[in-house]
Amino acid sequence: MSESPRKNSALRDFGANLIKSPQRILRSAMRSGSPTTDRTRSEFVFGNVFLHIHPVRTHRWSLRWATTWGLGTASAAAFLIALVTGVLLMFYYKPYPEVAYDSIKDIHFVVPTGRFIRNIHRWSANVMVVAVLLHMVRAFYTGAYRSPREFNWLIGLGLLIVTLGLSFTGYLLPWDQLAYWAITIGANIAQSPREVTDAVGITEVFDPGGLQRQLLLGSDIVGEEALIRFYLLHVMILPLMLVILMAVHFWRIRKDGGLTRPDDVDDRLGPPPPDTYPVFTEAPAKTYHLAAIVRGRTSAVGQGPENTVPSMPHLFYAELGVLMVTVFICVALAIVSDAPLKELANPAVPENPAKAPWYFLGLQEMVSFSAFMGGVGIPTIVVIGLGLIPFLDRERQGTGESFGGPGGKKLVLESAVIGLALVIGLEAFAIRFGWLREWYPEIPQWVITAVNPGTILASLYALYSLWLIRRYNSARAGAMGLFTCFLCGFVVLTIIGSYFRGPNWDFYWSPAEWPLH
Amino acid sequence: MSTTPEPVPSRLDPEPVPRRDFLGIASLCSTAAALLFAGIGMLRLPKAAVLSSPSKRFRVTLPESLAEGEAYIPPGRSIALFRDEEGVFAISLVCTHLGCIVSSIPDGFECACHGSRFDPDGGVMKGPAPTALPWHRVTKSEDEFIVDEEEIVPMGTRVSL
Amino acid sequence: MNRNKHLLLWSSIGTLGLLIVAAVQENILKDWRRIQAAASTIDGPIDVRLRQVISPDLKITDRCVSCHVGMAPGEEPAVDGPTLATTTHPPVVHDPGEFGCTVCHGGQGRATDMADAHGDVPHWPHPMIPLQYAQAGCGTCHTHVQVPRTERLEEGERLIARYDCFSCHRIDGRGGTLRPGGVGGMEGPDLSYAGAAGHDPQWYAKHLQQHEAAEDGVWKDSFGPIPDDDLRTIDNYIASRVGAPRLVKAKALFHSLGCRGCHKIDGVGSNDGPDLTRAGDMDPLFVDFSYVEGPHTIARWHEEHLRDPAKIVPGSLMPNFGLNDDQIELLTLYLMSLRRSPHPEAYWPKDRILAERFGEREFGTDGGTLYGTFCAACHGDSGQGVRYPDTVPFPSVSNPDFLAVASDQFLIDSIRTGRPGRRMPGWNEMLGGLRDEEIEELVRYLRETGGVKAPEVDRTEPRWVSADWEFGRRLYDNHCGSCHGPEGEGTEAPQLSNVAFLAAADDTYLFETIARGRRGTPMPGYRSGSPIHPALTDAEIEALVAYLRTWEK
Repeated sequence: MSESPRKNSALRDFGANLIKSPQRILRSAMRSGSPTTDRTRSEFVFGNVFLHIHPVRTHRWSLRWATTWGLGTASAAAFLIALVTGVLLMFYYKPYPEVAYDSIKDIHFVVPTGRFIRNIHRWSANVMVVAVLLHMVRAFYTGAYRSPREFNWLIGLGLLIVTLGLSFTGYLLPWDQLAYWAITIGANIAQSPREVTDAVGITEVFDPGGLQRQLLLGSDIVGEEALIRFYLLHVMILPLMLVILMAVHFWRIRKDGGLTRPDDVDDRLGPPPPDTYPVFTEAPAKTYHLAAIVRGRTSAVGQGPENTVPSMPHLFYAELGVLMVTVFICVALAIVSDAPLKELANPAVPENPAKAPWYFLGLQEMVSFSAFMGGVGIPTIVVIGLGLIPFLDRERQGTGESFGGPGGKKLVLESAVIGLALVIGLEAFAIRFGWLREWYPEIPQWVITAVNPGTILASLYALYSLWLIRRYNSARAGAMGLFTCFLCGFVVLTIIGSYFRGPNWDFYWSPAEWPLH
Repeated sequence: MSTTPEPVPSRLDPEPVPRRDFLGIASLCSTAAALLFAGIGMLRLPKAAVLSSPSKRFRVTLPESLAEGEAYIPPGRSIALFRDEEGVFAISLVCTHLGCIVSSIPDGFECACHGSRFDPDGGVMKGPAPTALPWHRVTKSEDEFIVDEEEIVPMGTRVSL
Repeated sequence: MNRNKHLLLWSSIGTLGLLIVAAVQENILKDWRRIQAAASTIDGPIDVRLRQVISPDLKITDRCVSCHVGMAPGEEPAVDGPTLATTTHPPVVHDPGEFGCTVCHGGQGRATDMADAHGDVPHWPHPMIPLQYAQAGCGTCHTHVQVPRTERLEEGERLIARYDCFSCHRIDGRGGTLRPGGVGGMEGPDLSYAGAAGHDPQWYAKHLQQHEAAEDGVWKDSFGPIPDDDLRTIDNYIASRVGAPRLVKAKALFHSLGCRGCHKIDGVGSNDGPDLTRAGDMDPLFVDFSYVEGPHTIARWHEEHLRDPAKIVPGSLMPNFGLNDDQIELLTLYLMSLRRSPHPEAYWPKDRILAERFGEREFGTDGGTLYGTFCAACHGDSGQGVRYPDTVPFPSVSNPDFLAVASDQFLIDSIRTGRPGRRMPGWNEMLGGLRDEEIEELVRYLRETGGVKAPEVDRTEPRWVSADWEFGRRLYDNHCGSCHGPEGEGTEAPQLSNVAFLAAADDTYLFETIARGRRGTPMPGYRSGSPIHPALTDAEIEALVAYLRTWEK
């Protein structure tokens, strides 16, 4: 009989445990208690797989809006939105010509919330491109690419390219006229190295252009093989690459010592607000351990990681805030404007004008003079140039400051004026007076290939930048001038490609003037 | 570096929360509400509002040679039409157990998947099928018949010739 | 810190607000939802859900019935609610539940918003056919064959009335009514679709039998023998009853105005004007609406263009025919019916199979209809010749003097090869698409309407003239060059140096034409003199012919 009470108590325990289990499941999931003390807050961050990529404490400089304008977070947020909406669209999208078009029509007209989600997907992709570009601009002007962050700048460049690739591959999927002809043009730009191999006469044996196009399309036309390849790139290969690069990018931010800060950051920030909770209240001496795990300058012994606040909740409010602002922007745009869907792709009738997504229209403008230089040569030079910046500018002056470096804001302004004047002048000239072949119809093709207005423009910009290096005796000044000029060139060419080019890529003052077919 | 006056609080103590953080709580709640609302909207997407299957009503012409008790299965449909003296009727060939297609045998129907057997009128004779094979509405239009796969009629309903 | 909280608060509240707006738009404000929510049948309110007609074979997914609920297949029509919900489809041969809506009406079937569904959006290539031209939708699949010209069609209609067919038969909603003292109407079958369904070719013999057997009653009173000519016209009329009387009328008008003299349809016609095979299905994006007033629709474009071609297409060669409003509407209807969508062959109706696989003609192959279809625009509706502003005059082909000297072979050859370089195109199978028997039928018709038989062949040799052409040249320069041009190139009068003309014309034709002239035209007969020209001797005329022959090489 002595065993029965124990049996009974086990049964009772069983009941009690059953009642308590929801609470225990919750507690075991949370690990630490509610994040009120420094320790629990720290545990909240590093005890969570999703949050532990963040530092436990964040510098007050990093939380200033003007430090980053939240552009990196916004890029990631836009990607997250595109990811979620994209996965939802995959429920209905069928990657087969014509069927694809019908499935988009169905998403637009009958899928519950389908139209809205497609609009959000489209807008988040655009927001992402803008945010990534602006993020790069911000990183450049604050000198954030400098040592030890050179490699992360390269990763960022990779992210920019993958982002553009994602956008471009998504462009074909609706299989409408817009998509079909933009991709036809894009695939032929990929083939344009043939212009060079043709000029040299080695296309027979060495044809990288043809190979690129063939790899992209899986055929010699834009057809079902191309669609399935673009689909695979869009939903699997490129997102995977993006996620991997993003992980490296974020990880490097931490390993490279957080966001870039000016040397005199403490003076700039001033004393902390009175309610700031101190870091070291008990053992303020041994700080080099903490400093040793991050690269960069070591904190002086005896000083805490001052001017930092706990990431939980300060950083997370900022990040959540940027996320929600991004969501807001995407949703607002999605309500205001529908994603385009033109008539079904017709391989016999080209769309006129056949325009690529807006961020490629600058390229398309240059391509309208010669395919290889405009579509491959100059973009390659620009990417290589951007990649080399951190390795050519080894200076320290102005790191972490907006427009920091010799010349500063004044130099940027001057470069902008010169950059704009050059690109507008050259374009106006080319539009008004034509280009080489209009003057010399017999001119050999290799001259056409090499001498694109873009080539001239890039050379002029380069000369100006070399002059700046001499003038300021600073590579940074040259880089600032060149970067500003290229930015102006990109913006102006994109605007011309978007608004001032109509059917047959002729110049028009506004789309309202386009002739009817 | 801190110039806070004594006593210095321990980092293990709870941080003195400034009275009530209404703003923080409100912002978190509204975020949660917005994301929840968005989530509910997104969850609606996978359930299709319209199905892409073709119309369930179709026309059929019975072959002249169709004998009594012989099944006529229109191509691409899972329905059998029969003709006897009283008229024409249609019996579904979808097994009521788990949706396999039953085959017509001389004394009824038989399902290959789990061995259900049905009599010539579709009634269950054996096996796991829970209900009889449903009969569908047949209407006559000139020399054709219109079968409606969506409309079930009581067993034994025929359209007279 | 508080700034970030504000950021989060206001952006999330804004997002929530926008999401609610989107949810209201999606779930409440959609047109089809509002229409269905307001509608009810005798059993109560109807389900609010998307409705559609799907046919994988026809490749249609038509959601039109989500708003036009009254036309949804297999549902009780609403008795109360918005008009869209209560209106049912008028009875038609094709069950909308099987064929959907867009096959006949155009528009965008997958769409669920009005503008998108009706195709009134810039990028949709197949906007709806306006209701006024609804019968044009038949042209999507049907190619109505053997449609005669208006004159013959109207004659058929008159004969049907004259021979009292309406006492028993109903045709296009007319006739077959109850007669006082009779045994009720509609003894005979409804003939409105006889052309599509086919009718018994032996009907006349059977009717006559009945008539002869009858003692009294309808068979005795209302039926009697019909002459062969009338019988053919009646047969032709019945064959044209396909359930789309307006469209057939429109096609008949097209077959009376000689439109195919310039325009090709399905490979038959001339190349002077644009090919019209897909005229009803042009993509609005590729049509120039710059000069079109009113809505920019294809139908409107055709209307305006027919009213004044040069106004809509500056520099157009197409003359203004001065058509009246009814003719414009009819021709627009016909042009809109030229659609030819690629539906699977299993769905092709009999008439299209006949036309595309067995070479049956869309136009009637009687001489009158052939003339109306191909010749009337230039040579006039009765062959009198026409002169449009800014063109050379088109010769009269019913001129008795012409027919009296032209041999049948000359007419056939002229029609077959045309006059290269001139407005007259060649009509043989390679060029204009006409078959030899059709060209012969045309010649027979010309003889019949002109009332002039072919000239007796008195010489077996077609080229019998052997005279001094140098002498002929002097005569030509004096008497002919002012109208026919110094080199015979034709200014006011027809071109004589045309190789095809000279090949087709034998010496007798040339000789006789010069000798007799053409009454009703400026061409005088040179056998007898007049105040403005002397008489020429046979030898002189032969010299002229010899000179003309020098242009042959």
